[in-house]
Amino acid sequence: MPTILGELAGVEATSPEYMRLHVLSKLALPLSISISILFVKDPASALSLVLIAGLACKAAGIPLSSIKKYLAVIVSMSSFIVLSFALFTRMPGKVLYEATLYKFKAEKGVFEWTIEVTDTSLTYASVFILRIFAMVLSAILLLGTVTDRDLIWGLRSLKLPFGACVAASLFFRGIQFFVADFNTIREAMMARGVDFAKISLARKFLLYINALIPLLSLMITRSYEVSLALEARGIAPSSRALSSYHRYGLSHSDYIVLVLSLSLSLAYILWWWLL
Amino acid sequence: MSVVKVSDVWWRYEGRREYALKGVSVEVEKGEFLAIMGSSGAGKTTLVLTMNGTVPQRIPGEFRGRVEVLGMNTAEHDVTELARRVAIVFEDPEIQFVMSTVEDEVVLALEPLGLSREEMRERLEWSLSLVGLSREFLDRPPLQLSGGEKQRVAIATALARQPEVLILDEPTSDLDPLGKEEVIAAIRRVRDELDITVILVEHESEYVADFADRVIVLSEGRVVMEGEPAQIFRRMDKLKKLGVYPPDVAELSTKLNLGVTTCRLEEALRLVSKLVKGVRTRALRGKGHKPGEVLLECSNVKHIYPDGVVALRGVSLRIHAGELVALVGPNGSGKTTLAKIISGLLRPTEGEVRLLGKPIEEYDRLHLSALIGYVYQNPDHQIFNQSVYDEVAFGLRLRGLPEEEVEKRVRRALRIFGLEGLEEEHPFFLSKGEKRRLALASVYVLDPKILVVDEPTTGQDMRFSETLMQLLKKLSEEGRAVIVITHAVPLASRYVDRMIVLREGRIIGDGGPREILTSPIASEGRLVMPQILRLYRKLGLDPSLAPLTVDEFLSVVEIAL
Repeated sequence: MPTILGELAGVEATSPEYMRLHVLSKLALPLSISISILFVKDPASALSLVLIAGLACKAAGIPLSSIKKYLAVIVSMSSFIVLSFALFTRMPGKVLYEATLYKFKAEKGVFEWTIEVTDTSLTYASVFILRIFAMVLSAILLLGTVTDRDLIWGLRSLKLPFGACVAASLFFRGIQFFVADFNTIREAMMARGVDFAKISLARKFLLYINALIPLLSLMITRSYEVSLALEARGIAPSSRALSSYHRYGLSHSDYIVLVLSLSLSLAYILWWWLL
Repeated sequence: MSVVKVSDVWWRYEGRREYALKGVSVEVEKGEFLAIMGSSGAGKTTLVLTMNGTVPQRIPGEFRGRVEVLGMNTAEHDVTELARRVAIVFEDPEIQFVMSTVEDEVVLALEPLGLSREEMRERLEWSLSLVGLSREFLDRPPLQLSGGEKQRVAIATALARQPEVLILDEPTSDLDPLGKEEVIAAIRRVRDELDITVILVEHESEYVADFADRVIVLSEGRVVMEGEPAQIFRRMDKLKKLGVYPPDVAELSTKLNLGVTTCRLEEALRLVSKLVKGVRTRALRGKGHKPGEVLLECSNVKHIYPDGVVALRGVSLRIHAGELVALVGPNGSGKTTLAKIISGLLRPTEGEVRLLGKPIEEYDRLHLSALIGYVYQNPDHQIFNQSVYDEVAFGLRLRGLPEEEVEKRVRRALRIFGLEGLEEEHPFFLSKGEKRRLALASVYVLDPKILVVDEPTTGQDMRFSETLMQLLKKLSEEGRAVIVITHAVPLASRYVDRMIVLREGRIIGDGGPREILTSPIASEGRLVMPQILRLYRKLGLDPSLAPLTVDEFLSVVEIAL
């Protein structure tokens, strides 16, 4: 069964041991990394978290080369962060570079726009960049190991209403249909002569707005048909599962992962507290 | 004892002037197999939806009359309550799937029944084996199965609840021949092994003749015919007017005045074999097709999708002006991939496609789309403008044509495709048939030299399918090449000049329909032969003569009456 990232980008976890874990464990580890991100404020803790997230991905068998796909986003966001700290903030610390970009005399004094790069601003920028990197890795870990079936089982094991679990499953089906329909409609436009590589952004925007008509029409028709089909099977929003087919037991490995996940977050909270 | 009793039911959908059901009364006995037939829009689906309470409980409209199923008034008992005893399988299997594995899909509707885990497991395995699916399917995502497998999972899902009434609403109409065979085998097992009342809505009279104890024919919301299959299929002319086409052998027995109308092939074989004297030694005339100039040429075209699926393994062909070509073969044989490569929507991994002597990649998109038009299977994927007029005008305006010229060409296309008077209508509100014609008109208006039409008759009744094929034939006679991707081989064989058979990404046959259907390629390509041709072959007559219609059969076979 393909994971969510597998369906979207073809990136799959390959470790059978990790994939056998209960969905709660698969959710707990990336969640713990995400929580820890909130508590890192120095380069050492941020770097250690990136390493831990990377190791978790490795343990799950997710090819780290998949990060390449997000490299453009990471680089552009990192550049933006560095520039923001350099151009718009003045942080105390050892000044490494200083330059005045603009200066003029006004009635109430002299206005200056000065760039001041200090060691603190660079440290802050690096922490931010490492946090983004850790976030990307935890997102890859989550989406590369969790299938939509896992999520539905997770919801069921959390004793959420049966109707809500069915609705969640329908949501995933809906995404698949939406993406497939959108691609076909786009292709149909090309078949009528639209060259998306050559038209202006405004024209492209207008055409995508137009594509909403068939997409909406298909979505309405499908939702209607799916709801009729579900009710015909005796499943309504108010339906309750009187028994459960799947067992949701945790294994020893699950307990280990859950304890590790909890410890990870607690360790970073403690680190933050001590700094 | 009646398990279903529909008494004088009238139903009008909200916002519609016409009633969809007009005083329908039907009774179904316990254990009976009832078939409901009729053209599209006759009210078949609406009628079965009254039997599980969806009409009138879930669809807004005006309801009169009474429907009782297993003693329950369907207007008073909730749909979910009725669903415990009445199961329904819809035409499109995909809309019936919610979960991500076959196992979860089947047990989904069992969990609200409060069954033990063991009982759920037992029912899961029993229902899957009944429809011919092994345990290997349990972990497979339903949406990745073939059409026939999907529909069998949908039937298993319905059967797992052990309903007393099973309603099958056109379960085979969206399937390829292999899928149809699989589903038909599953229905046969259900009929033979379970004591269950089955109501089947079906267009294909051959299946109905095989299964049904009784048939009702609906037309414009009324029951216009009712009786045993042989009684119904005897009244050929009336049936055809109602959009229902009887099996070929029923037509043959009526035309031969055999005294009895036979609807099944084996019965017909028994009766006719006694009367056959021989064959008249004149070959059936071909369609007199003379290929025009070469418009398109594919040389050793191969295509591999990014996920590694090899769709085409070296296809070479030529498409000529003025020919109507059917691209046939089982699902996954590469038909759609080839059609998209021909249309320039996909680039071949290897090989070359030349259009009017020039490599296809040298054309820009605008020029290419004026030379080759592609009509999608689902018109909803192709219609994206605010009015019928704008939809047809879209391609012309994209090319910057003056508005007078646009109007002239749009009006002509609307006239040809019978859409006059609907210019200002929003395409969203058109009927299925009108949407399909609009999709065709919006491509035709560009005056392409080649028109590729993807499965135009899937899910349509015979009358509409015949009209559509006649229209495509007319377009080819205007000098353009028309390529139709289709599973409806018996229908296509009556119209097309040429059949190209694909299997596993290769062309295994290319020739006239008669030539293809009488060669071993037909079974290799899993093509469904016209019933009359199957009868002819079973009679063991001269294989060089191959009648494709009942009239052709009568012209070549000498019968002693």
